[in-house]
Amino acid sequence: MKKLSLYFAIGFVLSIGIILLSHDDARALDENNCLSCHGNEGLIKTTDTADKISLYVSEKDVSSAAHRYIDCTTCHTSNPHDTATPLNKLSLAEKCGSCHKYEYKLHLASIHGQQLLQGNPDVATCVDCHSPNSNPHSVIRVLEYNAPTYKKNIADTCAKCHGNAELMADYGIVEKVYESYMRSFHGKALQLGTYEITQLDKATCTNCHGFHDVKSVRDPGSPVAGLDNLARTCEQCHVGAGAEFASGFLGHEEASTQHVAPVHYTDIFFKVVLSTVIAFGVIVVTTATIRFSINRWRK
Amino acid sequence: MVDIARSPGTGPVTKEKIRRFDVHQIIQHAGLMVSFLLLVFTGLPLKFPNLAVSQWWVGVWGGIEVTRTTHYVAAWMMAIVCLYHILYLGYTILILKRPFPVKIVPGRQDMIEYYQEMTYYLGFRKEKPRIDRFSWKEKFDYWAIFWGMPVMFLSGFIMMYPVLVTKFLPGWIVPAALVAHSDEAMLALIWIVLVHVFFNHFTPSSFPLNTSIFTGKVLKERYKEDHPLEYERLTGASEPGEMGE
Repeated sequence: MKKLSLYFAIGFVLSIGIILLSHDDARALDENNCLSCHGNEGLIKTTDTADKISLYVSEKDVSSAAHRYIDCTTCHTSNPHDTATPLNKLSLAEKCGSCHKYEYKLHLASIHGQQLLQGNPDVATCVDCHSPNSNPHSVIRVLEYNAPTYKKNIADTCAKCHGNAELMADYGIVEKVYESYMRSFHGKALQLGTYEITQLDKATCTNCHGFHDVKSVRDPGSPVAGLDNLARTCEQCHVGAGAEFASGFLGHEEASTQHVAPVHYTDIFFKVVLSTVIAFGVIVVTTATIRFSINRWRK
Repeated sequence: MVDIARSPGTGPVTKEKIRRFDVHQIIQHAGLMVSFLLLVFTGLPLKFPNLAVSQWWVGVWGGIEVTRTTHYVAAWMMAIVCLYHILYLGYTILILKRPFPVKIVPGRQDMIEYYQEMTYYLGFRKEKPRIDRFSWKEKFDYWAIFWGMPVMFLSGFIMMYPVLVTKFLPGWIVPAALVAHSDEAMLALIWIVLVHVFFNHFTPSSFPLNTSIFTGKVLKERYKEDHPLEYERLTGASEPGEMGE
């Protein structure tokens, strides 16, 4: 019996030790030991025009990235040091498209892709939405909670550009799209909800505007262009919603005398009632408090 | 109790109570209170969705689906309480042939009482106004619900069934309902917390809690001070010198 308990004790200590000492971190597949050089932060190359380009790849990022088990050479060719790769957003998207053909096709047809083809560097391409730091080495799968494309994070991801008033002014987008979304019931639901999977049925930017195939709202083919398209988009969640239902959507604009005036006047009416009645209450309570305090003090 | 000791001590302090509310009124107030609190607890986070405390609070309930369902249930509960009150009114008047409760109807006397109360608070008057069955504050609370309930119920119904409602009404009714619901809710909440809670918990005569609406009964001494006019009518005895004048 004594012996048996000794065995148990030894077994317990051993198993705790194994749990504590073993590391089971995922390691990126690095068949050619690229990271032995490129894992150093100081690795820099100087181009012909004397620009300094960092050649550093974070081992930590790449080890938790979606493509961690795809070897570097899959994207960088088996002869990476001799391959001339003029790296820009378009060539990057092209590289992703060599596997993700369908998404690449949609992306090129989208407003972002169209601008990309015209050489506009402002627009978002694959890594701008799929990586937290626009880095192809840290692309995170869509359903991971920390992915910029996870449902709860999508609005923030879009807002990286669309929340930038200066940048948006160049494209004539004057509405505060992020703030107005967060004011809406859809935005409130996402803010108050958790990271749980139930959040997936709540509407965010991409549910109405599309994602890989996102279109300009001025494009008649956009799912939000015109009341009929908008109504069809609403109907994806609000079964049976018609054009009248869709017309109640304020868009990304606040109600004003020009924009859905009845809502604006309703707001004013209730704000006036609210402030009048509360001001009245404050006066009564304040004077009563003063009176009762004086009465007590005198006693 | 301070307030009993304060009344002129002629004879022993009586513990005799006067009935003020019947069991239906007690149930109606309790139902209204519980449903109101549930509605506030589950509705307020929607007003401030970006605050960490709102997000934490919704998590405590078990997620936004739970707060939403609770809000719906409490809303129907409140609607039922209001219906109960209307039916109760009709029953007492039409079947029991009790007189129409004119005492709750606001009139010129309430303006006078309001004026007297304010001048008392400001020190221009020695005595509180002499109140009949209901003070102007009680009437205000009562009629505010008559205004607030239809607003909250209609706007809430519109938001609960937006697809159905926009089959008959223009689309802008939905965002308008949201605005009305939100502002009217804040009005009700601030009024209740500020005025109703103040006068029924924190005034010298009611601290820590005016129990009359929960027990239905009020101490005779209390009644004499809070509702002297009605007290005199009930007891048939005016007691000069007791309340000043």
